[in-house]
Amino acid sequence: MVAIWRRMSGVALGLLIVDLAGALLLTVVTPSFTSTYNLFITGRDFSILLLVALAQMIVLAVGQMNLSIGAIGGLVAIVESGLMVSYDTPVVIAIACGLVLGAACGAVNGLLIHWTKVNSFILTLGTSYVFAGVNLGITHATPFYHIPGAVASFGQARIGAFPEIAIVTIVLAVALAVFLRQTVLGRQLLAVGGNPVAAALSGLPVRRVIVTAHGISGFFGAVAGTLLMAQLGEGQPTIGVTWILPSFAGPIIGGAVLAGGSAPLLGTVFAMVLVSLISDGLILVNANPYWVQFFVGALILGGVLLGRVRAVGLRDVFRLKSTAPPVTDRPAEEPVPRRPAEQK
Amino acid sequence: MSATRTVAVRTRLTELRGTGLLRTLGLLALLIITAGFWIFFSAFATGFTSDFNLFFLLRSAAIAVTIGFAQMVVLSIGDMNLSVGAIGGATGMFAGWLMQVLGVPPALAVLLALALGTSLGFGNAALVVWTHLNSFIVTLATASLITGGMLILTRARPFSNLPDSFLGIAQIELGGVPVAPLVLIMLGVALVLGLVYRSTSLGREMLAIGANRQAARMSGLAVGRIVLVAHGLSGLLAALAGAMSVAANNTASPGIGSDWVLASFVAPAIGGTLLSGGLVSVSGTVLGGLLVATISSGLLLMNVSNFWLSVFLGAVLLLAVGLDRITRTVGGAAS
Repeated sequence: MVAIWRRMSGVALGLLIVDLAGALLLTVVTPSFTSTYNLFITGRDFSILLLVALAQMIVLAVGQMNLSIGAIGGLVAIVESGLMVSYDTPVVIAIACGLVLGAACGAVNGLLIHWTKVNSFILTLGTSYVFAGVNLGITHATPFYHIPGAVASFGQARIGAFPEIAIVTIVLAVALAVFLRQTVLGRQLLAVGGNPVAAALSGLPVRRVIVTAHGISGFFGAVAGTLLMAQLGEGQPTIGVTWILPSFAGPIIGGAVLAGGSAPLLGTVFAMVLVSLISDGLILVNANPYWVQFFVGALILGGVLLGRVRAVGLRDVFRLKSTAPPVTDRPAEEPVPRRPAEQK
Repeated sequence: MSATRTVAVRTRLTELRGTGLLRTLGLLALLIITAGFWIFFSAFATGFTSDFNLFFLLRSAAIAVTIGFAQMVVLSIGDMNLSVGAIGGATGMFAGWLMQVLGVPPALAVLLALALGTSLGFGNAALVVWTHLNSFIVTLATASLITGGMLILTRARPFSNLPDSFLGIAQIELGGVPVAPLVLIMLGVALVLGLVYRSTSLGREMLAIGANRQAARMSGLAVGRIVLVAHGLSGLLAALAGAMSVAANNTASPGIGSDWVLASFVAPAIGGTLLSGGLVSVSGTVLGGLLVATISSGLLLMNVSNFWLSVFLGAVLLLAVGLDRITRTVGGAAS
């Protein structure tokens, strides 16, 4: 606990304080906030959206993006529910197939980006339409109803206010933290994100790192899709269509840099807590639900602006002709030089 | 210092133009592919060449091209605009509200909607320029703000009582040919954009910024001002596409623009506009939009599930950027 506290970045700390203040405010203003059922619902939605945000964080860490997280989540949910409902596949096998498919979709993104050197934004935009199209081609927009009871009841299960699906999220988040901190590949991932040219020159396996990052992203998206399927109790083809905004909101508000090299896991967690608190608060005070979208957009802008202020100081941020180079811009398709042959 | 930078920008631009022959060949190939699809669908898709179908095809092509232009102008400076759909939807609703609730004459309502679109584009530009934030993240956030704001204000209620004189731009046939007035509007816009990029200093400055922003800034270009113009133009074109969609749908509905992200990138990307900036192709974007509309219409008539169209469009985008990559590598090696 002390170790976590000492490693916490300023952004994460700030967000934690805002979260606590927000929770306190909601407790005072709306008594139903602390009801067991409300905490359960909020925690359940949070568990799924946090996985979506982490799926984006891991590719942002290597300086890329993944716009296909939602499409992967939707496709995986459909394949799993289709296998279970139409082919009577055992639950474990169906879910294993879906998760492998999700990781594979992500890995394909990574491989294509590495081979073609096409901007990850455009490439994953293209593949997202391919994944979503296959999803709708299979289902014709009709859900797979009546998934096995064991899966559906897991999606609804709770211990007090604690949703059981959160166990999955906690295990995966901790595993991701350990991977990034303790493993060689995890350290290499951040190194490649920090400076791909230098990483390539010093002999890091850039392709493996990129493919791993995208594979993890696809896997997390797949788990999120699976959990949402379990929660809804059916394989909805629309799973994942609204995930683009939350996927960026978490890491960007949490302090990630688009150019890569950072993976603010705690910041992402606390940012998603904030997003969940705002959504829940607006629902509890019966506000127009569209305010949620508005607030998340404002939060992202506020988050990046604050990041900019931290980087260059308040006075330079709004200076029109700043001579400081833009910190968040980097040529998207910088060629990675090959290692000179004589160094072998 | 400034002189070397200017040379650097010039060299980069010449390098990009060095791919001229390849680009002409690319446009020719695109023309042949489009013609091939027309021949194929005329033969195999019943009703493809009917006046009724051609009218709808050209109309949806005109809208797709205008959406593509809205993205193309920001791509030219090396930025992107994810709020094209949000601006199109919000300004479409604004125009609908002006006409239906306030009874504003259509011409004035459209002008005000275009002004709103332009100012929303200026807002994006201000955030991009003053804060040096990446245009991706800025426009992702503003898209959410704009759509959220529009839904809060309109409570997602559509405006479907619009004056006929406005709907006419998408609904009437001009002189017995199956062409709606908005097709001519699109062609007029294409002509103006072609002139801007070919023969004005503004167009060249936008491309210079797209080719190498740092070098352009060092050689004394007013980068901030040009970025402002490009994003403002993008907002204007998005609003125009929004008005066109409202007229084509007979209704200002809050869903307009929600599926424009892919469309906005596909038409320019197929047409040879570099996604990293510095090179645009107006005629390519027109052909790109036409190709997409042709394929959608043909597949629909052949009863191919609409959902596979999304797979197809995604694949086309990937193919186009792949070719873009190859063209640049070959062109770079040649110069």
